Amino acid sequence: METRNKGSFGTQKLDDERRVRVLSPGMLVFKRFVRNKLAITGLVILIVMFAFSFLGGLFSPYTQAQVFKHDEAIMKEYATCMLNTDLRYTVRKGAEFPDAAHAQAALAITQGNPSFTYGDRTYSLVKEGEDFYTIGDAIKIVEARTLANKFSLSAVKDSAFTISPAFAAAAQTAITAGAAQFKADGDVYTVVNAGKTSAIYHVESIALATKNVYDPYEEQYKDIATDFGFRYASELALSKGKTQFSFDGANYSYETIDGDIVVSKDENGTAVAVCTISDMLVSSKANDIFLSSQEKSLIRNAIRAKETEFVIQDAAGANVEYRIDRVNQTYTVRTLTESRVITMYEFPTAAHLLGTDSNGMDVMTRLMYGGRISLMVGFVVVFLETFLGIVMGGISGYFGGWIDTAIMRFVDLFNCIPFYPIVMIIGTVMDKMEIDPIKRIFILMAVLGILGWTSIARVVRGQILSLREQDFMVATEATGIRVSRKIFKHLVPNVMPLLIVQATMSLGGIIITEATLSFLGLGVKYPLASWGSIINAATNVHIMTNYWFIWIPAGMLIVLTVLGFNFVGDGLRDAFDPKMKR
Amino acid sequence: MNGQKRANDEVVMEVRNLKKYFPIKAGIFGRVVGQVRAVDGVSFRIRRGTTMGLVGESGCGKTTVGKTLLRLNDKTSGEVLFKGTEIFELGRSELRHLRPQIQIIFQDPYSSLSPRMPVGEIIGEAVREHNLVPESEFDDYITKIMRSCGLQPYHKDRYPHEFSGGQRQRICIARALALNPDFIVCDEPVSALDVSIQAQIINLLEDLQKEFGLTYLFISHDLSVVEHISDTVGVMYLGDMVEYGAKEDVFAKPLHPYTRALFSAIPVPDPTVKMNRIILEGSIPSPANPPAGCKFHTRCRDCMEICRHEAPKRFDAGNEHYVVCHLYGK
Repeated sequence: METRNKGSFGTQKLDDERRVRVLSPGMLVFKRFVRNKLAITGLVILIVMFAFSFLGGLFSPYTQAQVFKHDEAIMKEYATCMLNTDLRYTVRKGAEFPDAAHAQAALAITQGNPSFTYGDRTYSLVKEGEDFYTIGDAIKIVEARTLANKFSLSAVKDSAFTISPAFAAAAQTAITAGAAQFKADGDVYTVVNAGKTSAIYHVESIALATKNVYDPYEEQYKDIATDFGFRYASELALSKGKTQFSFDGANYSYETIDGDIVVSKDENGTAVAVCTISDMLVSSKANDIFLSSQEKSLIRNAIRAKETEFVIQDAAGANVEYRIDRVNQTYTVRTLTESRVITMYEFPTAAHLLGTDSNGMDVMTRLMYGGRISLMVGFVVVFLETFLGIVMGGISGYFGGWIDTAIMRFVDLFNCIPFYPIVMIIGTVMDKMEIDPIKRIFILMAVLGILGWTSIARVVRGQILSLREQDFMVATEATGIRVSRKIFKHLVPNVMPLLIVQATMSLGGIIITEATLSFLGLGVKYPLASWGSIINAATNVHIMTNYWFIWIPAGMLIVLTVLGFNFVGDGLRDAFDPKMKR
Repeated sequence: MNGQKRANDEVVMEVRNLKKYFPIKAGIFGRVVGQVRAVDGVSFRIRRGTTMGLVGESGCGKTTVGKTLLRLNDKTSGEVLFKGTEIFELGRSELRHLRPQIQIIFQDPYSSLSPRMPVGEIIGEAVREHNLVPESEFDDYITKIMRSCGLQPYHKDRYPHEFSGGQRQRICIARALALNPDFIVCDEPVSALDVSIQAQIINLLEDLQKEFGLTYLFISHDLSVVEHISDTVGVMYLGDMVEYGAKEDVFAKPLHPYTRALFSAIPVPDPTVKMNRIILEGSIPSPANPPAGCKFHTRCRDCMEICRHEAPKRFDAGNEHYVVCHLYGK
């Protein structure tokens, strides 16, 4: 009947107890929390952080791993030029003269040996002129077979040798006589017998070594300029001081222009430049640039004149400036080239509110996506920790006895695991196994949760142990209340406040741990971002001192978020504290 | 009042030679190295509708006796018969059914109420658990109980922190009473309250006893309260019940030297009376290592040679007045 009067103050006296509004403990906690300015500040910070991280990503026009590029003229290496002081080898087509044998040849040249061996072969070395050597090798040219007293000869496919009647006769005589050598057409041939087949070898030049550099005048002359026969003929003529030579039925002549020798082909009376011979090696640095012989001569002349800059007219008729830098005997030619580059370290603009980072990604967008991961890791880990802590601590505290002892010793064991070494080892293992970045985050969550539940288990156990001895728990026993009700109606509601505070406080800690791990490169990996991995950029002194906008905002976000969680945690603790009446 | 009570001779609670030792464990394997003899051979019987006062110093085992009667502790030996049934022989479900009939009121009204439960829920929880009243009458029943304990029905939705100590103790009494018990152990129910509230609670307990025919075991160290409320009195010293008898007999003619020393400390509200106090030397010995012979001999004024070696036997001084002392019976 009294309850019906509730709220109608008219029938109640001023000092009537019913005028006092009834508040449940939950409401009281809420009211106390709301009155705490610091806690509300923390809550506002957290709301802003959540909005920034979870909604920000939806509004950001960019994705987290989007790389920005722009066009820029940069001094790009155009060509390098080297004074050639080494013997360079030209190998006959089809002949075998491996690069490794070059060293043996060089050794033989300096020692003046007439031959050298490489592998199981012996090569002969002939000095044909100043800095001009030919390397000879016995090449199998003809195969001889004696089948049923019938003698046959066949030229080896690759060799250009044609069997003359005089050669055939000499060969047959030599092979039937079992001679090792025979002469025919003024040349010496070697015979190697192997049963019914014999091989006839002839020593021929397979390579030449010279210090001259041949550059084709135009791309179409590339083949001829690198041809062994052409070079051999040219070098032979040069060493003999001739001004012309013939090769492959054509006549070539020399002409010295600006220190380079230009080789011209006589084509029906007109001289067509084929290649240049020089002592400088000019090579293009970019794949798409073909340096013509003229360009090369220009570069060479500029270098010979000890110039640091020169100008070439390009195909469109514009003057292109080149710069020459010298390092030892190597000259590098650079020119301004328009190219597409990644927009790195761009200072904050309207398009990129916090600039771009070293990968050319928008820092603001990465902060948003990074916040998602940082906060999510925090929540999942705390949930995992708290869940494990409640189960283990609850069992331990409620049942006591040997179960309690066993679980608590297990907790001690867990606390003995050194946290950072273990996490570092797991991080390294994950690096080695090249685990997908997203899976990596889940593994990180699991590891942090599994390593962190012990403190919560201890708190829960302690709380339950103390509650178990309280008179109201004895009273539930005396009134015969069943176990499930005891646990869920009496124990859990009394442990909950402490757990909420503990969980809120540890959220900040987890976020810091995750940031630390990511900072050390063990946590969240590129292309995914987390606040810790963004700060990682500050390990580079150049970035730390020059590009504040890359790492300061991430640091501020971590500080603010942790501060927010701690304020809210403190506020909750004060609100739950029954000693704080109002 | 007393005559009325005596007429009913049904023994509600009988305790025979009850012993409760707590083991002292030591070492990593929890080896038992000794025992605390909290209750060391206590016997008494309480008749329906009467109150037995249990007095003694702190740590003499009063509360252990009380808790053992509810089987909140295990016993070491002896018998606890509730209406002739040994409660330590009951199975789980039998015990659960018996629970409502024996209730307890704790000393500290602050820790005996769950802080996160409204009062109505605290009082009615076990009633619902045991289906003592139909669901339709539940609210009225709780209201009735709260009224008889001096609580207002609108208190139902409030939480314990909004109540004073006296009101909380009323809630505790209501919680016990709601189960319609036969026997209530009052474990120093008023010692945490101030004197005016003490009187209210004592009167409430007496009124409820009359109304519902309750039987109390009233544990206290406050002798005047015990003198006021009890019909029989037991005096405990170091786990032993040294004297037991009707209140009139024990208070008028205390036999045991300890009882006499205890009673000499009751203040008399008259400044002209010269109090003849018996001051006990020393402090109570450890129940883990009680003295040989009579446990009280180390502090007894009338200590004799025999007291040091031989434990005294129970002496019946007539009218169910027992004393355990060598001064008598030889």
